[in-house]
Amino acid sequence: MNSGLKSGLVLLVLGIVCGTLLALVNSFTAPVIAEIEEAAQYDALKEFYYDIEDPNYENFVITSDYDIDKLEINEDGVEGIFVIKDKGSDIIDSLGYLVYANGYSGDAPVLMLIIVEEDMDVIGYKVVSHKETTGFGADIVDNDFNVSSLIDLSGFDGVAGTTLTSNAILECFNIVAGRAGDDFGGGLDD
Amino acid sequence: MTNKENLLKGLVKENPLFVSVLGMCPSLAVSTSLENALGMGMGVLFVLVMSNLIISLIMSNEKLAALVKPVRIPVYIVVIATLVTIVEMVMHAFLISLYNSLGVFIPLIVVNCIILGRAEAFASSNKPLDSVLDGIGMALGFTAAIAIIAIFREFLGKGTITVWGNLVINLKGAFTFIGIEPIGMFVQPAGAFLSFGLILAAVVAIGNKRKEKLAKGAAK
Repeated sequence: MNSGLKSGLVLLVLGIVCGTLLALVNSFTAPVIAEIEEAAQYDALKEFYYDIEDPNYENFVITSDYDIDKLEINEDGVEGIFVIKDKGSDIIDSLGYLVYANGYSGDAPVLMLIIVEEDMDVIGYKVVSHKETTGFGADIVDNDFNVSSLIDLSGFDGVAGTTLTSNAILECFNIVAGRAGDDFGGGLDD
Repeated sequence: MTNKENLLKGLVKENPLFVSVLGMCPSLAVSTSLENALGMGMGVLFVLVMSNLIISLIMSNEKLAALVKPVRIPVYIVVIATLVTIVEMVMHAFLISLYNSLGVFIPLIVVNCIILGRAEAFASSNKPLDSVLDGIGMALGFTAAIAIIAIFREFLGKGTITVWGNLVINLKGAFTFIGIEPIGMFVQPAGAFLSFGLILAAVVAIGNKRKEKLAKGAAK
């Protein structure tokens, strides 16, 4: 057999061995990573239901005061919806949307948590994950975008110089504005 | 070269950062705190030792070495990239705050010159035990160097030294004593270059003094 072909085969075998090893490691790290990411989302929710300045903030567990169901959606820019109800109640208190849109870093969208009430008032919003450029887009993700209601988003404050990141964040609000009314009106039952 | 010399040469004599000036990109980027420096050092230690061992095992077998030689650089990259991906997945799962702090510099360990350099220059032509000792020494030398830069930068830039997690040594009193604030520039990119330059100058000066002393001793 041609020696070049033999060398190529050795490389192929090495690639298969390495791929198998990575699959093995992934099989036990992936569930832990998923748990961490879910815990981060619940932590993000907590900020809007408990006073962050309170000394007991760290000990507060949001599920002790609220019943929270997470619906996995994965369609039209919505990754999931947290349905938040007062403990023991059947009435929806608010909905927390995990929505995503492409910013500057096209491969890794900006993932936002936006919490709204039935009257379309926004309780809070937070960028949960992103890979926008450090020093530009990444610096604005914690900004106040001047959004308090989804009825009128014309007052949205974008930031000059980070147009794509600002547009991604506005797009996230638009996605929620487009469906929150239906979801509160029984759309989630479908 | 004895095992002891093999292990110790990476610490001072052939320190990858202060003598060979390799792997500067991650060193300057993550040396904003001692915790980041130690985390990066642990990652490099695992990857360097394992890659040296695997490459040395492959190249010790004459038949396999003959087949691998024409494609040795892709082989090194596949081995190193696999090890780095393992480090990245394990850090993501079990050391999340460190994973977030180191960010993009974890996958960039793949192109760290120290690792590829030791694979080609040492592991490919030495026995597995020697290669492992070389890897340990070089990684410890790298960790020590990056830790020195981190301590220097964090102390001057923030007045603290973050050893690990919540274990933070507060040295702001030193700044209060002389009546100034910590110099924030030292934890910025410009401060990284300045710190590295100052420390390197000090290391070279100490080395020269030592050589002078040895030369004088020999002349007498």
